[in-house]
Amino acid sequence: MTKGKAGLLQGTLDMLILKALALGPLHGYGIGQRIAQISGDELRVEEGSLYPGLYRLEHRGWIDSEWDVSENNQRAKFYKLTRSGRKQLIIEEKNWERLAGATMKALRAS
Amino acid sequence: MSRVKATVNFIHAWQHADEIADEVDAELCFHLQMRTSANIAEGMTPDEAQLAAWQSFGDFDRIKLSCCEIRRGLPFNMKPLRMGLYIAIACLAGGFALVAVNLPHHNLFGVLWQLAAIAVLMCSFLVGRRKQ
Repeated sequence: MTKGKAGLLQGTLDMLILKALALGPLHGYGIGQRIAQISGDELRVEEGSLYPGLYRLEHRGWIDSEWDVSENNQRAKFYKLTRSGRKQLIIEEKNWERLAGATMKALRAS
Repeated sequence: MSRVKATVNFIHAWQHADEIADEVDAELCFHLQMRTSANIAEGMTPDEAQLAAWQSFGDFDRIKLSCCEIRRGLPFNMKPLRMGLYIAIACLAGGFALVAVNLPHHNLFGVLWQLAAIAVLMCSFLVGRRKQ
């Protein structure tokens, strides 16, 4: 995690990966870049922890992968969201909204 | 990924463990190359860029191992299978015990049968303990 950037809460990495892939197929490096981009450069995924996360999501059937040629003409493994992954993202987003709302309510309590 | 594809991947991962390790290696190396290129584009020297890429990535071998282990993981939930096994062994132990009680205890066959019943019962306890 880069100094000054927000740390990721436990369990949010999976949701962010799914969200990044909902915008289109990407390789692992690109997923990290896209998460930074869509969070306005506020969130930085620890590069090493990204890959076990990707393999875990693929194992659960939420994402799929295939080897292809990257933008710099190198072989790279590209990930894409599956139908069950898209459903899971909706569930995760709803859970997150509920959790964030409850946390804010608790913080505002006087 | 369908359940069938997950099962095929699981079998493939066990049959071709080296291939999977090479695949993970290639993927992680691609990441490091991309990070190195980005660092060079930001003004670092190639050596500095490579070093920074490795440092920001973390423990390469540990991450690679972790990815390989996930690939080799079972493609289904083990709990129902273990529960089924537990019930089957418990039924078997009950059957063995029922027959053992009704057998004469003064011959070798009867004693062996009782020992088998005890062994099956112990298996059921062991499976039950693992379940918890």
